[in-house]
Amino acid sequence: MKLICTQENLRKAIAAAERAVGRQSTLPILGNFLLETENGRLKLSATNLEIGVIARVGAKIESDGRITIPAKLMSNFISNLPSGDTIVLESEGQSLKISSGGYQVKIKGLDAQEFPLIPQHHGTQFLNIPAQPLRATLAKLLPCVALNEARLELTGVNIIFSDNSMCLAATDSFRLAEETIALDSANVASVASSFPQGSCIIPAATFSEVSRVISPESKEVKLAFEDNQIFFEVDGVQILSRLVSGKFPDYKQIIPEQFALQATVSKEDLLRAVKIATVFTSQTSQEVVFRIDPEESHIVIESRSQEMGENQTILQADILSDIPLEMVFNPKYILDGINTIATSRIAILANESTAPAALKAVDEETGAHAGEYIYIIMPIRN
Amino acid sequence: MNNEELWKAVLGELELSISKGEFNTWFKNTSIVSNQDGRVVIGVPSGFAREWLENKVNMHILQSLRHLQSDISEFSCVINAPEQKAAQGQQFTQTQTGFSSVQGVSLQQQSSSQPPPTYPPGASVPYYPPQAHPLQAMPKAKQEHALNPRYTFENFIVGENNELARAACYAVSQNLGQLYNPIFIYGGVGLGKTHLLQSVGNEVLRQQPNIRIKYTTADWFTGELVESIRNQKVAEFKEAYQKADLLIIDDIQFLSGREKTQDEFFHIFNTLYQANKQIVLSSDRPPQAIPTLEDRLRSRFQGGMIADIGRPDLETRMAILKIKTAERHFYLDDEAVRFIAENVTNNIRELEGALNRIIASCEFHKITPTISYIKKTLGNIIANTKRVVSPERIMKMTAEFYNIEEDDLTRKGRKKEVVHPRQVGMYLMRSELQTSFAAIGKYFGGRDHTTVLHACEKIKEDLDENLRLKEEITSLKEKLYRE
Repeated sequence: MKLICTQENLRKAIAAAERAVGRQSTLPILGNFLLETENGRLKLSATNLEIGVIARVGAKIESDGRITIPAKLMSNFISNLPSGDTIVLESEGQSLKISSGGYQVKIKGLDAQEFPLIPQHHGTQFLNIPAQPLRATLAKLLPCVALNEARLELTGVNIIFSDNSMCLAATDSFRLAEETIALDSANVASVASSFPQGSCIIPAATFSEVSRVISPESKEVKLAFEDNQIFFEVDGVQILSRLVSGKFPDYKQIIPEQFALQATVSKEDLLRAVKIATVFTSQTSQEVVFRIDPEESHIVIESRSQEMGENQTILQADILSDIPLEMVFNPKYILDGINTIATSRIAILANESTAPAALKAVDEETGAHAGEYIYIIMPIRN
Repeated sequence: MNNEELWKAVLGELELSISKGEFNTWFKNTSIVSNQDGRVVIGVPSGFAREWLENKVNMHILQSLRHLQSDISEFSCVINAPEQKAAQGQQFTQTQTGFSSVQGVSLQQQSSSQPPPTYPPGASVPYYPPQAHPLQAMPKAKQEHALNPRYTFENFIVGENNELARAACYAVSQNLGQLYNPIFIYGGVGLGKTHLLQSVGNEVLRQQPNIRIKYTTADWFTGELVESIRNQKVAEFKEAYQKADLLIIDDIQFLSGREKTQDEFFHIFNTLYQANKQIVLSSDRPPQAIPTLEDRLRSRFQGGMIADIGRPDLETRMAILKIKTAERHFYLDDEAVRFIAENVTNNIRELEGALNRIIASCEFHKITPTISYIKKTLGNIIANTKRVVSPERIMKMTAEFYNIEEDDLTRKGRKKEVVHPRQVGMYLMRSELQTSFAAIGKYFGGRDHTTVLHACEKIKEDLDENLRLKEEITSLKEKLYRE
């Protein structure tokens, strides 16, 4: 194998595939990249047997071939090369010689025959998802995914397809975020019907890989489902993974249909007040009290700690309701929620002190709720 | 030969022709789904495994299949669908916090095909079952003192050392407050007391999700009490405990020397006991050996069932290692498992530590471990546990321990201060080194072998009755092997 490509293109492909490299000791070859020539291009594959990533690089191929070499070594070398230079890759027996300008390395590899085969998608049905909304949605949802593997079904993002949209949700059972992305592709129904019950749970790790590959210029993300595996394609990079097994909780039932109270506040002020309140909470008791007072048209946010002291912030708010309400929250979950909202004003929605509350974005001009995105948070019961 | 046997036989053959790592990676969780008209369908867990089986080792597989059943002409693979049912079951048992209780309800409602409830604004919405268990509510502060769902009877490994304790705990979890009350489990560090205690809680919770369980450690109990005294909320504190249906307290020996705590605990204990509520306790030593424990508490602890957990034997240690490696998806062959189990003997926590060390180091170096590699990795752990004890060392340490001259052990003289150490020294030499009575006599200043025999028997007999002597011998042994 011998080929020439640019440092920039190769670096991009390595960055896309790098995180899929495996770390198991039982199969050391998973720590390698598979490099092979294919239709006049260089194909770079990596997998940990949970996720597989294939990236392709435009190159001038002088002779065909394939080899696997340790991913870390290659990545370290390539990322330290000056950008704009061309790189020559040449295999010599079981080693790969990489040279660029005056820099040259020879990395020992393993037989390409030993590398796992990454499953390919055979059908032609791809669903097109607009890339930028998907990336924005994932940024909002991924912090809510449960890290603890005790409940496997919560370690991924749930997708429910409908005729012209897809509804994504994530929860760790303390808070929940849900967003809807409109789809205009004609074959939504037929792709969606390939999923059992029109829904699936995608591992958080797979989605974070997808959102890393989406660049500001990306237009769309292709998605397909086959044999219990999910396939993504973004700007020529293919990502595939298994789905999370299990059934996602029927979360729609805990999103209240109506709220008795709505308080609209400035996002900046709310963020500041909760951050200050966080200072006066400790590891053992993370509690911030929200007292919503319709008569005075304000929200009092306070916290106290036995050792350190206490604080109180009064925020002006537009309150729709006439009953005062007091709720207790974990400030971390509130902060996570505020940070996912882009508008300058936020609506806090609630029914009563022990029922789920919600955060929604508010349109600055009309004062109405903006978008479908909703962040549900469980209050702490006193 | 049915499908399962056929596949087992094929795997047995394949295991010989490919490397261990490869075998474990690709053939785990595979099975024959159907076998008809010479066509075999193999179920595999992932697309990666399907590609590998169909394209890389297909000839091997086909050969082995034909070898066992000659009419097989081809095979293919299907990917097993993720199991939804099993996961649902899990949802109920693992119900612990937050929304989960809500989901339990909503799923049940779904399965009984009722329409989802709608709530008018402002109405009280039953997001929690009316009598929600405190553990199911969003944890207020003491999250770390909830039961850990990882600890169950199913993953508790039974050996000779813990049979009785496990059986007693299991029986208690099936008959709360009726069989043995209180139940008192004791044993050294890292032998599984906490695991057993939490298993009782988890098992009971699984059967009766609404039951009130209070799980705490004696240390935490004291902390809570102190806090409640400061906030003048002692009554609330007591009430919280007295309302429990099942009270589990870990490491009860920490009550020792805390009079006020013992006092409060005594009242809580009595209230619960009289109401036939189950109490489960653990400690690192039997009740009679806990110093400065009030007599009325001690006698109450002894009133129920007392069971001890000893150090696991070799077979149990091997079983534990095998389960732990399987949990971590790490492969160790039998020889390696045996080697680790033989060399790390103190307790299970140390055993896990040793295993973690091997896994981490293998993953770091990306190699499959061999015996010599394990020996190197565990070098200092093994060196610490295996220490050769010589008769001279026993003499020296015994004299040091009892604060007498080494010569006193060999000299004539029957003063009480030297007779007892001398007997202990003889006993240790016999029990630790199996030295002959005559030889022991020689070490101790040329005494007759019957003298030695008498000493050994006397100490042995006393051991059963005299707890102080037992503690003496245990700490002397520790000294012998450690320093």
